Amino acid sequence: MPKPGVPARDAQDSPKKNLLLAALPPADYDHLLPQLEAFPLELGWAVYESGGEQSHLYFPTDSIVSLLYVMENGASAEIAVVGNEGAVGIALFMGGESTPSRAVVQSAGQAYRLKAKAAKAEFDRHGALQILLLRYTQALITQMAQTAVCNRHHTIEQQLCRWLLLSIDRLKSNKLTMTQDLIANMLGVRREGVTEAAGKLQAAGLIEYSRGKIAVLDRARLEQRACECYAVVKRESDRLLLTPPVTVPAAHEATA
Amino acid sequence: MSAVLRPTPRATGTRADLKAGAKAGAKAGARPTSPAVIENNLLAALPRKDYQGIAADLQTVVLVYGDILYEPGEVLKHVYFPNNALVSLLTVVDGHLALEVGLIGREGILGVPLILGSRISPVRALVQGGGAAMRMDAARFLHHFRLSPALQKESYRYTFALMAQISQTAGCNRFHLLEQRLARWLLMTQDRVKSAQFRMTHEFLGHMLGVRRVGVTKAARNLQECGLIRYARGDISILDRAGLEAASCRCYSIVRDMNEPSRTHNGGNHNGVNHNRVNHNGGNHNGGNHNDAFPGMSSPRQK
Repeated sequence: MPKPGVPARDAQDSPKKNLLLAALPPADYDHLLPQLEAFPLELGWAVYESGGEQSHLYFPTDSIVSLLYVMENGASAEIAVVGNEGAVGIALFMGGESTPSRAVVQSAGQAYRLKAKAAKAEFDRHGALQILLLRYTQALITQMAQTAVCNRHHTIEQQLCRWLLLSIDRLKSNKLTMTQDLIANMLGVRREGVTEAAGKLQAAGLIEYSRGKIAVLDRARLEQRACECYAVVKRESDRLLLTPPVTVPAAHEATA
Repeated sequence: MSAVLRPTPRATGTRADLKAGAKAGAKAGARPTSPAVIENNLLAALPRKDYQGIAADLQTVVLVYGDILYEPGEVLKHVYFPNNALVSLLTVVDGHLALEVGLIGREGILGVPLILGSRISPVRALVQGGGAAMRMDAARFLHHFRLSPALQKESYRYTFALMAQISQTAGCNRFHLLEQRLARWLLMTQDRVKSAQFRMTHEFLGHMLGVRRVGVTKAARNLQECGLIRYARGDISILDRAGLEAASCRCYSIVRDMNEPSRTHNGGNHNGVNHNRVNHNGGNHNGGNHNDAFPGMSSPRQK
């Protein structure tokens, strides 16, 4: 959707592939578009580091970013994944100081970004973007809380199912490029645990796994095998983000 | 318990606090009124004018240990600004397994979904320390929220601190020993109730920490043997706070520092809590105790 004054972009590569941007009313979207910069996210790149400055707010389109809790010794565990349903850099507009988490690109792809100052200014306009970002924040909180309880109470296999489902939802494809080491890092477990769980899922015909590529073959059965955490996160996310189109200024009363 | 958790009497308050409280009292008439001193830090951080604008809609309520204020999926009817009450946010899975993902006391507000434009609580809110809180009708809160940029700012800032707490909890549960987590939890509780003594059963602690009762018993015994706490028939006394800080994981100090407003305008009262800024154990907590940190090492994982 190229606009005058903005470099034409491939239709495949529209900011509207991000659901938050897509949900903006046309006027808000047009206002924002010239400020959005297309920015490719490379696998493993740190969008922000623990305690570091956040220079931009990112809206992934077909990339996935993991928010990781980092220990002093470098061990990490994923606390949430962000894809085309969300934004990375919540601290920018929530007024929070630095956090002990880092954001790392888990699946390479495209994102659009807004400079920190512009993001803050947009947020403070009390328009549709603010409403959407706040709702997304609520969905993110739900995901974090569910991840915490899932880590505590569910088996690695269940967690792996949840993680695969959350990932492919954000990719619109059933294939992931991902090593077992990386998955182990995400889930905060030993590699052997991931190997064993992935082996079981493969033997059952739910996934196919080879040389760092995972294909989900049977989504329905993967959902059955996952713990309820996947469904809870999905439901809350859909409720907050897919219902009804944003109308301004009905702030804070817009959710169903 | 009420003897332990009764509101702390305060002899002094800032002029603004006193005036605001008096005005609120006058407006509220015979209803339970706002206290003369603003005990909740989020309310205390508001400029006087903003506080006065909302004070009439604040009602002092007493929250009772064990009360459930919201269940997951429930529409929020009120927000609560705890004074000395303490509320746990619990995520429940499989119908019965719970885990505390957040702990809200005088530093915050219960009702974050409203701030974010949702009316529905995704978690269970359980009163974990009985005591007083300021309650406001949800619709009135939204009304004031729209009118007061200061209330918005403080609410967003607190929401972000709560998110940090939730993510810290997720990581902490994954990597840290039960004993460290118990120490952290006791310290967070002490900070919020401002008392070194409170009541807590092993079973309740098990729910909070997401482990079985026997695990809690063992961890509490270890802390007791080190002389850090005394734990008898559900009564917990913190005997050695510095020692308990050293025994806890770093997550405690990280979340505490985020919750501590750097501003002190309007006499935000932090009296009573020893915010020891010394970076105890320099980040090298307990050496190899949890260096590679594995799930289930603190307690058997439950299916």
